Amino acid sequence: MPHEPSPECRDLVIQLARLGDLVQTLPAIEALQEVYPERTLDVLCAAPLTSVLSGARRLGRVIPWDGAQWHAWTHQWKENPRQTLQAMQAYVASLGNMAYEHVYALNRHARSCLMTQLFTGPFSREDQQDRTEARARPWTEYLRHIATRRGNNRVHLADAWCGMSGVKPRGRAPRFQPPAVELPDDLASIGERQGLWVALVTGAGEADRCIPAATWGRWTQEFLTRTDEGQVVLIGSGRERETGQAILESIPALLQGRVWDATGRTSIPQLMKLLHACRWVIGADTGPLHLGTLMGSRAIGLYFSHARVHETGPYGEGHWVYQHATQAQPECWPIMESIALICDDQRRAASDWILWRNRMDQWGTSFEDGSGQEEGVEDARATVWRALSPTLCESVAA
Amino acid sequence: MTLFKDNIAWLAARDTSLAAAVTTSAGGVLTIEPARSGVPSARRSGRWIHSAYDPIREAESWADTHAPACRAGETVVVAGVGLLYHVAALRKRVAPEIAVAVLISDLDEFHDALVARPLASWAEHILWLSGTPVEIADRLSKTGRPLRCLSYAPATHSDANFRSTFEQALRRGVARQTGGQLTIALVGPIYGGSLPIARYVRRALETIGHKVQWIDHSVHASSYEAMGALKDARNRQLMQGRLAEVLSQWTLASLAESPPDLVLSLAQAPLTLPVLEHLRRKKLLTAMWFVENYRHLTYWQQMAPGYDYWFVFQQGACLDAFRQAGARHVGFLPMAADPELHRPMDLSDEERRIYGADVSFVGAGYANRRRLFPALLRRPWSFKLWGNEWDGADELDSVLQLNGARIDTDTCMKVFNATAINLNVHSTTGAGLDPQADFVNPRTFELAACGAFQLVDSRSQLPDFFTDREMLSFGNFDEVPGLVDRWLGDPAARQAMAAAARARVLGAHTYVHRMRDLLGHIGLSQPDRVGAVLRGDRQQESLLSRCAGDVPLESLLKDFPAGQRVELKDVAARIRSKGSTATLKREELMVLMLDEYRSETRDLL
Repeated sequence: MPHEPSPECRDLVIQLARLGDLVQTLPAIEALQEVYPERTLDVLCAAPLTSVLSGARRLGRVIPWDGAQWHAWTHQWKENPRQTLQAMQAYVASLGNMAYEHVYALNRHARSCLMTQLFTGPFSREDQQDRTEARARPWTEYLRHIATRRGNNRVHLADAWCGMSGVKPRGRAPRFQPPAVELPDDLASIGERQGLWVALVTGAGEADRCIPAATWGRWTQEFLTRTDEGQVVLIGSGRERETGQAILESIPALLQGRVWDATGRTSIPQLMKLLHACRWVIGADTGPLHLGTLMGSRAIGLYFSHARVHETGPYGEGHWVYQHATQAQPECWPIMESIALICDDQRRAASDWILWRNRMDQWGTSFEDGSGQEEGVEDARATVWRALSPTLCESVAA
Repeated sequence: MTLFKDNIAWLAARDTSLAAAVTTSAGGVLTIEPARSGVPSARRSGRWIHSAYDPIREAESWADTHAPACRAGETVVVAGVGLLYHVAALRKRVAPEIAVAVLISDLDEFHDALVARPLASWAEHILWLSGTPVEIADRLSKTGRPLRCLSYAPATHSDANFRSTFEQALRRGVARQTGGQLTIALVGPIYGGSLPIARYVRRALETIGHKVQWIDHSVHASSYEAMGALKDARNRQLMQGRLAEVLSQWTLASLAESPPDLVLSLAQAPLTLPVLEHLRRKKLLTAMWFVENYRHLTYWQQMAPGYDYWFVFQQGACLDAFRQAGARHVGFLPMAADPELHRPMDLSDEERRIYGADVSFVGAGYANRRRLFPALLRRPWSFKLWGNEWDGADELDSVLQLNGARIDTDTCMKVFNATAINLNVHSTTGAGLDPQADFVNPRTFELAACGAFQLVDSRSQLPDFFTDREMLSFGNFDEVPGLVDRWLGDPAARQAMAAAARARVLGAHTYVHRMRDLLGHIGLSQPDRVGAVLRGDRQQESLLSRCAGDVPLESLLKDFPAGQRVELKDVAARIRSKGSTATLKREELMVLMLDEYRSETRDLL
């Protein structure tokens, strides 16, 4: 019989990074819930992203952290330190109980360490938290080493966060139900009618990771021409509205009826609902790709510049990533190749790009490129796990 | 007249002497006419000073623009009286803890206002400022409150001199108050005449207690010079331009290490317009002291919008030109001397023999000097010429010292001190004296600070700095031989005049005076930033007094020594110094958290 979480025993996961990282934290959250069913798990994340976690089961509180307000206080301090300190105290008090026994801080920056201290109960400050830190440290150093060396990290970031939290991956990807929100009227029928619905992520977090609107225009035209079933939903933030418009204008009028421009028009829950309605999600921006996989879409990532498949590839099984062979801006794009994947489930090589597909095993998710070295990869990941979390691996083996 | 009488009675109940003065004033400077909206409007000398359509709406719009910047605890001084619509609108828009004061420069105009409009409830909370500009400024300075000066431009045309004197006195007041320590990044040029001035400025700022981050680009001078050896002019310009751009980025990177309260550049500092715009986006204040003749070096035309503050040593047309080019604030800041360096020296007989002469000139061989100086040859007195760029001036070879080598400051000071009559002729590319003699060069102040007697060509600003008992000038170069003959024979008179000039420089024309004026100017227009620091608002004792009763904050501040400026980063550093194993209080953790966010905010690159 499963344990009911006790409100008295509360632990906290801190994840202050962006959308994609928050979604990638879910495997660790679910693994912690599975290992410690009697404990209530809260999550502290950036205030604008709290709605992402609304579909998470058995989660305690989702605590919003208002970074913009803290930035504003840095200016206010100069003029009125007293008022600023009082405002900060009131803010922190408004977050409620702050005496957690275990705090799992997944961001390795100074703010995250300070939050750990703020949210740790006095009884556990030295003892418990030291143990938590000791468990996380090898993984932190490993990730730092990988980031510095830019070597092949075959342990996915989401699984490394499991390791940092002292739990093993569950071997399956998190999946959320669509939130009960209304879509704008003209988008409400997305996914309702028969068709091969593809969400196209128009932008990316940084300018050097954006795919040109002309490329997306060509992709959309080729896809819609290739299959009469095809329907394309353009997604993106308000910043991508112009890109969305440019894509729409670049395709023949006859095809425009099968393109749905949702850029800048959806909240996060609405975006989650849209992604749930699409069979595929394609793009370079990892955040919406991760969100898409969480909602049940299959993902195709086009990774270039500093985006790397082993660090931020979609989590789970059956997703694809075209990784550009160099860090230079691509000159040609795997347009027909990615369309063949969607329409025919046909794996086709593209020059200057390496195609990866992911799968799941006991060590989490991993990517294989069809070179037949998957077993070696699994051994390499097992070696990393045994080296960084020996106790955990022993207890699992026992 | 009932309205006027009622207003005077109301005023008399609050300020008897002002009411009496207004009563005896004649009025009649404003022409009152009804606006389309039905309320009175006014003209002065034919110009509308309120809207002919709707003065109330116009005043509300003006107040809407200015009210958001006004902060609690400040006194907002409004220049421009008119019919006071704008004052009423501002009073209604700002919080009660903000004082609003009106500068009455002309009692006749105030008289007319009281004839035309009733003083309503808003006027209860107005401070009426009358008297001489200096008296008013002193009164305001003594309150110790932060001052914010606003100007209702349509009504200020007639009182420009009054306002100018008032603002100058206020700036001096702000400068006198200096209790706080600013951090100022001083950006110098790669080479040239403004480089030594940058060094004097640095010393002056440090002397008055500010912290200077000296961004010294002179270390790159040899590279710049090496590029100058390229024969192809296009390549030379391209390379030197690229180097200047790199140094501009270098400046940005240096500023990012520790963002200052103010970035102060000297003329020719390698800061490009895009970098200045970037600094503005990052909310860094920038100022430039353009110590060059604006007619000769004209790159300021492109750079004018880049700096928040410009300071120039010319007035009149120069100030207008900068404003027209897009400069937001332009102030007059003349040259000066550094008494640490420019001082009387005890010279040995040998030094007097080497460096001394009856008449000397130190400077570069500009065209006008080449044409004028031969007239000083073959005289009964000795004449020595020092400095470089005299190639081709064969006639002057016999008096040119050190074969026309560039001379250093130390040598220059020895020449000044050893010479009976120092000639000071401002440079120009023409044949004679500078026809646009609208500034005074640094040499004038430096010679005076040395206690050295000088003969200087007439300058329009000279009477503002020195009386004729302190400085001897000539309007025509033909006068020079006669003046030399006369003054050479009267060492006592020379010494008396030189001593008076030196006393004047020490009392009013050092770089310390200039920097106080410059900071006073910026502090007055930035009462909540530079002004707050200058007032000492960020000093430990001031912070402690303002947080009385707040135990957590007191505990964070009380360990700092009194008199020290304490910023967030200082409090955070003090907390961090407890060590990584210390158990911190919640407010200490929050301060550290805030400091982390500050670190992100200051990220300039």
